[in-house]
Amino acid sequence: MITFDRVSFSYGSRPVLNGMSFSIEETERVAILGGSGEGKTTILKLILGLLKPDSGRIWIDGIDITEKKEEELREIRTKFSIVFQEGALFDSLTVKENVAFPLREYTQMSEEEIDQKVRELLRRVGLEEAIDLMPEELSGGMHRRVAIMRSLAAFEPRMFLYDEPTSGLDPVNANIICELILNLSSKGTGFIVVTHKVFDAFKLADRFMFLKSGTILLDGDRERILQSDLSEIKIFLKELHFPQFQGGTRNV
Amino acid sequence: MDYAGSGSLLIILLISLFIGMALSLQLSAELSRVGLKMYTGKVVGISIIREIGPVLTAVVFAGRVGSGMASELGSMVLGHQVDTLRVFGVDPIKKLIVPRVLSAIVMLPALTIIGDAASLMGAYYIAVFVSHQSGAFYWSSIREVLVYENVLAGSIKPFIFGYLIACISCHMGLSTKGGAIGLRRTTTKAVVISFIIIIIADFLLTRILLYLLGFTV
Repeated sequence: MITFDRVSFSYGSRPVLNGMSFSIEETERVAILGGSGEGKTTILKLILGLLKPDSGRIWIDGIDITEKKEEELREIRTKFSIVFQEGALFDSLTVKENVAFPLREYTQMSEEEIDQKVRELLRRVGLEEAIDLMPEELSGGMHRRVAIMRSLAAFEPRMFLYDEPTSGLDPVNANIICELILNLSSKGTGFIVVTHKVFDAFKLADRFMFLKSGTILLDGDRERILQSDLSEIKIFLKELHFPQFQGGTRNV
Repeated sequence: MDYAGSGSLLIILLISLFIGMALSLQLSAELSRVGLKMYTGKVVGISIIREIGPVLTAVVFAGRVGSGMASELGSMVLGHQVDTLRVFGVDPIKKLIVPRVLSAIVMLPALTIIGDAASLMGAYYIAVFVSHQSGAFYWSSIREVLVYENVLAGSIKPFIFGYLIACISCHMGLSTKGGAIGLRRTTTKAVVISFIIIIIADFLLTRILLYLLGFTV
């Protein structure tokens, strides 16, 4: 579904991606790992056409989106559901208005139907009571749950994209979000989750891509990550104070 | 509209009132030395309606509303809200920029008229109760300067200033990068550039309007 062919990207004079190539199928559960500023979020934005690569090509379902204009990307973007870091809810809108936003943009539903749909979506994540709250009144975990429901309100995505879905959350809320992500993918819908939390990545994904200096240092399953001798990966795991990984076990 | 208009009203009223009073005080003092105190109203009227009112209101508007626009849009960029709009197929220019530009174009002229009125009232207070001039003569001087040329010269500027402030502030906001420091930089730049552009545009507009209205310099 997604193919990156020698994609390079830089923010001004700072290179982020350096000739990166990979392919991801729509049923895969992929975790993109790496430190801050390694280009993890940039990859998600490139997939959606929110950023244009400096060089290389990006293919979605066999369509080259590299040179597509904003209006031509609209259809491509409906294939995905993205949840940005910290949810990216609209500050000036209530929870209901946030979830209803894509319904109003993409569907011809009446206000009554929109109200029913929003309540149904919020009920799925136990937030119907929060329907009239403003985003500033929500906790971090509630923010993410509302954002996830908003992202799939208007259409059934073929793939989910999550940008640091559990960052800044306590372990209980992080676990709720991980379970929600797995639940939404239970019918075989794949996802790409960008994170620097290895523990959560191991709970969610089957395939792991580890980024370093604009390239993919390692691309494989959890065995490959755990058995990797690459110092960058070992340091990354150690920095997370995750003792299970010290001995190379896979008890996650 | 509400934030740009009624939210700015009190500060515009206060500043305009005191500027009018200060101007009247200065002119009364200076003109009375040459025996021309009775012209205070006329000079105050021309200064406020054609020049000080539009520029002063625009500067306050840029400081309050322009900085608000830049910081609000900047935080939306940093919080990925603008990206979210694009993902939902919504053009951020139509959704975020056009309403802000329109509100600035509508509200700045309205605030300028109110500010001008407050300045003239402040100037009246000083002229009559401090400088002991005739109130009736003051208002008749003001009526004399409220001619087509002066009103036109003073009322075109706020529309253009409003457009410029909104465009500069929105552009700066949408260009925000680099977290809280980037947001601070963006907001400061939006205000500083707006101030500079207002002053330059004021000079150019004054030059053009004087030429078009047939004034000789």
